[in-house]
Amino acid sequence: MTTLSIQTVATEDVIEMCSVRVGKTLYGVPVTRILEILGAHATQPVPLAPSYIGGLAHYRGEVLTTVSLRRLLGMPPLDTAEDILVFEGVDGYFGLLVDEVGEVMTVLPADFEGNPSTLDDRRKALFAGTYKLQNALLVMLDPERLDPVHLTETAQA
Amino acid sequence: MPRNGKPLKFAAFPPDNLPVDELTREFLIESQEGLDRMERCLTELEERPEDRDLLAEIFRAVHTIKGTTGFLGFSRLESLAHAGENLLGLLRDGKLLANAEIISGLLALLDILREILEIIESAGQEGQGNDDVLIARLHALQGQPVLSSAASVEVQPEKSDSALKPPKKAKRTRKAKAGGIAIELIKSVPRAAQREEITAIETYQAESLVSPLRSTVNAAESTLRVDVDLLNRMMNLVGELVLTRNQILQMVSTDASLTMLSRRLDMVTADLREAVMKARMQPVSHVFSKFPRMVRDLAQQLDKRVRLVMEGQETELDKSLLEAIKDPLTHSVRNAIDHGIEMPLVREAAGKDPEGTLRLRAYQEGSYVIIEVSDDGGGMKVERIRDKALERKLITRERALQLSDRELMQLIFLPGFSTAEAITNVSGRGVGMDVVRTNVEKIGGKVEIDSHAGKGTTLRLRIPLTLAIVPALIVHSRGQSFALPQGALSELVHLSAEQVQTQVEWLEGAALYRLRGRLLPLVFLGSLLKQPAGADKPREAYIAVLNAEGRRYGIVVDGLADPEEIVVKPLSSVLKQIGLFSGATVLGNGEMALILDPGAIATYSNIGMALEEDEQESVDTAFDDGATEYLLMQNDDEHTAVPLDRVLRIERIPRSQIEQWNGTFVVRFGATLLPLQGLSRAGSAASQGTEMTIVVCLDGERHVGVAASQVLDVASGKPLAEAGTNAAARNVTLLKERITSVVNLDLIPRLPNARLSKADEEQPEMWETDAVIEALT
Repeated sequence: MTTLSIQTVATEDVIEMCSVRVGKTLYGVPVTRILEILGAHATQPVPLAPSYIGGLAHYRGEVLTTVSLRRLLGMPPLDTAEDILVFEGVDGYFGLLVDEVGEVMTVLPADFEGNPSTLDDRRKALFAGTYKLQNALLVMLDPERLDPVHLTETAQA
Repeated sequence: MPRNGKPLKFAAFPPDNLPVDELTREFLIESQEGLDRMERCLTELEERPEDRDLLAEIFRAVHTIKGTTGFLGFSRLESLAHAGENLLGLLRDGKLLANAEIISGLLALLDILREILEIIESAGQEGQGNDDVLIARLHALQGQPVLSSAASVEVQPEKSDSALKPPKKAKRTRKAKAGGIAIELIKSVPRAAQREEITAIETYQAESLVSPLRSTVNAAESTLRVDVDLLNRMMNLVGELVLTRNQILQMVSTDASLTMLSRRLDMVTADLREAVMKARMQPVSHVFSKFPRMVRDLAQQLDKRVRLVMEGQETELDKSLLEAIKDPLTHSVRNAIDHGIEMPLVREAAGKDPEGTLRLRAYQEGSYVIIEVSDDGGGMKVERIRDKALERKLITRERALQLSDRELMQLIFLPGFSTAEAITNVSGRGVGMDVVRTNVEKIGGKVEIDSHAGKGTTLRLRIPLTLAIVPALIVHSRGQSFALPQGALSELVHLSAEQVQTQVEWLEGAALYRLRGRLLPLVFLGSLLKQPAGADKPREAYIAVLNAEGRRYGIVVDGLADPEEIVVKPLSSVLKQIGLFSGATVLGNGEMALILDPGAIATYSNIGMALEEDEQESVDTAFDDGATEYLLMQNDDEHTAVPLDRVLRIERIPRSQIEQWNGTFVVRFGATLLPLQGLSRAGSAASQGTEMTIVVCLDGERHVGVAASQVLDVASGKPLAEAGTNAAARNVTLLKERITSVVNLDLIPRLPNARLSKADEEQPEMWETDAVIEALT
């Protein structure tokens, strides 16, 4: 990981974010929303599935449907196994495939800003906003927007 | 799975107990649960006398008992419950406020209801007893003005009455409890009249004697109602354990000490799986029980006389499957009464009993439960079926002329088929047998029909024992594994790279294969799933011939792996929408595989309904008594055969793979050795080519191979007997009017086995593996 300054503000409104990397961008997911992180987990492709489906993963006796952030963003697939973040969705658990899971960092609500207007529509729909870190930007991801059920609905609309 | 005739629930019943029928047992369990709830609520009611929900709950418990007892003919229970219900009705409507007195009255009612239930359970009837005292008391309690604790004066219990009571069984604890309440009451309501009454109740209780039959544990105590969700979860976890076990077994093959442990794990897992599956089982009587009433009503409605005979009600089936067959079975029974059984006059004219017989029979056969619905009615008239099918334009006239009687019978499974002259409210709406078939096949079952004009019709529903774990063939397509449920699989055809080029024929983009002279539509799995194509050079392929919901087609795959028992995991809704997969599973090697849905693939690929002879074959064999199906092979000039049910798969292998070891011909598949038979004249056979056919068969637990020049056909064998002695000839049968020797698999030499002797240290690794693979299958 690049040097990321961890904000050490001892107030109650700091938000703990798990940082993940896809391509060169740093994304953050609220730690409280993550059920589990599966490191370098193998996935099985699903033929005929919507393009954003990353495949199936075996998770605690269940078949986990995963969403690939890379594919959602229209990026070329990665050769190595990706890390999976497990979330609870509308229709049971689902996984989010990311290049790499980083560390847990704290951010301040004051540093939050909405999506810049110059961002393309697809990304605007997926990103929840941005936290300004000292020397980087952390794109906030909202698991609800990444839920496969939600993605199917928006794809059809 | 071993069969247990008795439902698990009632295992605590001693075998010599008086029989209590299923309905009564169910009533007992439900009532006892209701009373337990009532007791809890009553105690809570003392603290919150105005709680409507509690009152409603108590009312329901008593009301249910009253409703059912009238039907079962338990008059004592009925009158008691009626009295209680009246009182509870007032309480519920707010016309009375529950006080200690009323509650104690209700508790007394509760106790006596329980006692009667216990008598019914052990003796089958409710016993003699005078309940006037309690009824009068409950009645008197109704007369109380709101918020008054005044006792009713007109009830002066006659102690002689209670003395007349027959010996009753009651638990000591229960009596003690009742006594405790009574004492409390004396303290809280110090009124003379009441005290006297309470004393009376105490006497009433005290008179109860502990019955010698008390050793019987009652049904409610020995059973536990478990949430189906919990059972589903347990099943899931067990499935998970099975998968983990499979993976461990594949890995430990190199370590001898771990092997022992893993075998133990294997056994425990198998037992656990069986126990959990058992817990999900319910006797088919749960579904059968509604038929007597239905048959009676239908018969009356149609002016027919029908006698219902039910057999094998204790046969058990997974709960979810039981739910799934409810509708198909109801359809079938309706059909049998409406179309099958004739009017009494017609029957008499035909020399039959004017009363028709409808037989419902359930029994287990291997890993299937067969449910038969048979009637002794007029049977199906093929001419009429044909005319109707033509009338409804379900088949063409030319096609109709080609069809045999059996094939014509299969027409009733076509959607929109009905022979009913007019649409009645019983049947004839065009939804019928196709629904039966679709529903049964949805759960991996099969429907077979057999009918003899004038004698009757038998419909056979073949239901798998469980849904959660299914045998499946693992197929490969462009590097990915898929599971193909074996229920739909009828045969496998291997095509060499060259054959793929020459034998697959194309008709305007549709691929076809000539299977024994008939065209079989083909679906290429790789193209169907739009999987990225690999190297373009022609490769060998396998055709899995499927029969899905009456539609016959072949699915072309790149490779096959061993069949596996797979644990079905549901897919998320997003992936369900693809529509071609019925679930996913984790294979023994840890890989995930999607489960193909043969019916959905057929629909997707526009495969039409076929009326193939294969279906007819399956019906045929079901009635050929004593005949066994054989796989017919040619080895040089001689014809040999193996029983079809022993055949696992057929392999084509290069002759060079066959090796000799210790005088036995063996062939190696991965790390397993397969002993071979039929190679004694290997010298002469060797000249015929570089490839040969190995039929892999199951002998007990082990796999053995039978070598052959080629596989000819599948045929039914007829037993032969020695002339003169009439003794049944062994290892020879009449196949296609030709005497054929049956390969005795038992004679194939055994390989030294790790399970039998640990001393064989020469090649320990190999034998351990062999044993593990055996244990796996």
